[in-house]
Amino acid sequence: MFVVAVVTAGALVLAVVLGLVIGPTPISTPRILGDAFSHLGLGHSTLTSIQSSVVWQLRAPRMVLGLLAGAMLAVAGGTYQGVFRNPLADPYLLGVAAGAGLGATLAIVDVANAATIPTWTPLLAFAGAMVAVSLTWVIGGRSMRSTTATLVLAGVAVSALFTSAQTFLQQQSSAQSIASVYIWLLGSLANASWHSVLVVLPYVVGCVVVCVLAGRALDVMSVGDDEARSLGLSVRSVRLLVVAASSLGTAAIVSAVGLIGFVGIIVPHIVRLLVGTSYRRILPLSVLFGAAFLVLCDTLARTVMAPSELPLGVVTAIIGAPVFVLILSVRRMSTP
Amino acid sequence: MTMVHLDHVTLRAGTTTLVHDVSLEVAAGTWCTIIGPNGAGKTSLVAALAGLRTLSRGTVSIDEQRLDRLRERERARLVAYVPQHPEIPVGMSVLDYVALSRVAFHGALRAPSRRDRDVVAGVIERLELGDFRHRDGASLSGGERQRMVLARALAQATKVVVLDEPITGLDVRHQMDILELLKKEVEECALTVIATLHDLTLAGLFTDRLVLLHRGEVLHDGAAHDVIRSEELATSYGTRLQVVNVDGNDVVVPVRGATRA
Repeated sequence: MFVVAVVTAGALVLAVVLGLVIGPTPISTPRILGDAFSHLGLGHSTLTSIQSSVVWQLRAPRMVLGLLAGAMLAVAGGTYQGVFRNPLADPYLLGVAAGAGLGATLAIVDVANAATIPTWTPLLAFAGAMVAVSLTWVIGGRSMRSTTATLVLAGVAVSALFTSAQTFLQQQSSAQSIASVYIWLLGSLANASWHSVLVVLPYVVGCVVVCVLAGRALDVMSVGDDEARSLGLSVRSVRLLVVAASSLGTAAIVSAVGLIGFVGIIVPHIVRLLVGTSYRRILPLSVLFGAAFLVLCDTLARTVMAPSELPLGVVTAIIGAPVFVLILSVRRMSTP
Repeated sequence: MTMVHLDHVTLRAGTTTLVHDVSLEVAAGTWCTIIGPNGAGKTSLVAALAGLRTLSRGTVSIDEQRLDRLRERERARLVAYVPQHPEIPVGMSVLDYVALSRVAFHGALRAPSRRDRDVVAGVIERLELGDFRHRDGASLSGGERQRMVLARALAQATKVVVLDEPITGLDVRHQMDILELLKKEVEECALTVIATLHDLTLAGLFTDRLVLLHRGEVLHDGAAHDVIRSEELATSYGTRLQVVNVDGNDVVVPVRGATRA
């Protein structure tokens, strides 16, 4: 456990440094560090003002947004897997993705022949995501003996409904706006700014804290609803609280960066393979691991084929899947 | 002193009545077993006893406190529950599993206190689970696993433990082990046990009192010796049963070719 935590923290530091240092404009690490210290009133910066703004206005907000997105998606995925006791659960399970997709599509196709993505897209995406999850909760959570299965099924139904509405809208619109919607849906950190960081920060911090604190309750819930209640846990309240937190945080992230796949499902599983099945360990480590993982993937996404960028969701899958298989096979060999 | 009091309890699921107007008083420090054929409503009744079902009518009180008026945590300090098929999370150690019992005491946001850890260690010792402490609970044999589940219920340190078919699927020796453990808790720690059992012989052997449930209603209630010999028992099971006495113990034997309507 300790070793894993140290290694993960190390990966996080590495991700932060690489996120700042790597880019088409070569600026060495010591000079970036010198500039950072000069802002704190220590020594003098050797960076030109352009270099300085490349580092602090382009790379830094992108790196920070990547940390927030990775942390939020990973911890939300881990929480969903716990609360639904379903290893296939990911943060988009209850309709966040479909809702955000519909919201974004509404924003983008509304502008005739849009070549750019309008500024209110995140707002509509966020609203769409929250509407979809709330609808899922109302449908799935109101039956007399609501189980997690009814909630998951309601999520499937709501997602289908929203996706079909989105498809219909796209089909009615121009090729140009279809392309814009598609690019938005793929997910990217390319439009990160300090503004978007500040907008999502309170959601992410609040929701991550709630999810991590829920670890012990999720461990109790692993024995099933009836038994967890007999042990003194208010299962319904815990479920409502953690689903709300995971969904809210995910919606905020999706509205800022689009749909980045694979992080939410793969990171908690990697962590679980390394430290066991207790959510008291899985969730906090998923926060660190998810943050590091996404920033490292984004660094690759923007450098491998520079100056063009790979879709972030593609890189997370290309890196994540082999890492997962590797850890799985190593674990198989070490446990008889 | 009455520890468990069911007052005109009715339980419905949709239009089906699972339990109909059952009233029952169980004295502190005794063992009451609920018997009856499949579908008689035993599982629903014990779930209601553990405060896990919303009653259609009536009340369940434990230690003079109505369960429906308590919060989950308060209720969990009064009554522990072992379902027929407990869910054993894969990868959770025996120690961690038994320690789940203390969440009602330390809360879902706090770590277990020293006292919580002592209680858990004590029960693990008492039920001879020490050697398995760090094993994955899901990898244990049926008998060991059931002992682990029982340890969780006992570590909850309640006055009442409710068990649904605690010995189903175990071999004879492990069945005896589990029942002896429970009997010891009843006799030495004044625990009140309410259990459902299918084995009528074992039910008679260990229990002070049998309650025969049939189609959701109490058909007979009394000392094991009387209930086992009653006409109602054979009627409710729809088969002929013979009671033979072996060394002072009643043994219930089914008789072939005499199925009743």
